[in-house]
Amino acid sequence: MGRDGKKGIGGMADPRRYGIERVAYWLMRLSGLGLLAYFVAHIYETSNILRGRVGWDEILQMTQTIEGHIILALVIGMCVFHTVNGIRVMLGHGGVWVGRPARPDYPYNPASQNYRHKIGIYSAIILAAVAMMYGLAVLFGE
Amino acid sequence: MRESTIMKIHYGTAIAAVALVAVHVLIRVTHGFAESLEYESVIANYRYVPYAIMLELILVLLSVHGFNGLRVILLELRQGRLYEKSVSYGCMAAMIGLIAYGSRTIIVTNMGLV
Repeated sequence: MGRDGKKGIGGMADPRRYGIERVAYWLMRLSGLGLLAYFVAHIYETSNILRGRVGWDEILQMTQTIEGHIILALVIGMCVFHTVNGIRVMLGHGGVWVGRPARPDYPYNPASQNYRHKIGIYSAIILAAVAMMYGLAVLFGE
Repeated sequence: MRESTIMKIHYGTAIAAVALVAVHVLIRVTHGFAESLEYESVIANYRYVPYAIMLELILVLLSVHGFNGLRVILLELRQGRLYEKSVSYGCMAAMIGLIAYGSRTIIVTNMGLV
């Protein structure tokens, strides 16, 4: 434990004891940062069209590699997870699937962390995996 | 701007971006992934005005959503008046810079200056 009884980023990052919701919290942020990095790189990549055919073919050769395809498959997975989990978060913020208000009784299970949202998180992970497999099939199958 | 308004913009840009990016990806896949990336095909995409408008919309929506998301993550890590202002204005500047850089590609190619 750090100063002032705070665990800091290490405490935030620790997924133990907090269930799948904490994992989803981290996957959402990591996929968001990954997608932002890809988006900036994609804007730079496509700007090479301004260098004409030679410039475009050069940048395409750099990205159309095994490593490039694997990165793109990861981007597809991050995109699908971020979208599906994002919709779940939006619904939760809108009061959908968060349960009814009730008196807090032992063992104090939070009504909002119910099976519907857990199914949403697992669905996001499964759909991301399926989309990645499809992406790999398209990228390596050509 | 109020944080509640910013979050509404964040969710609005997310929903709109999902729909437009789906169209963008479907066009790549249905035209054959490798063929759609050929120089002539990409130039034709940029010169087709409705597609160029869609690319510009995606650029704006994802830039707003992405850099606001980064701002939220950075504000979760640390707080403080100066830090929060620096992060907010820094993300805003990066967003405007990326939109300007991407728009340059779209406009120059669409006008046939390549």
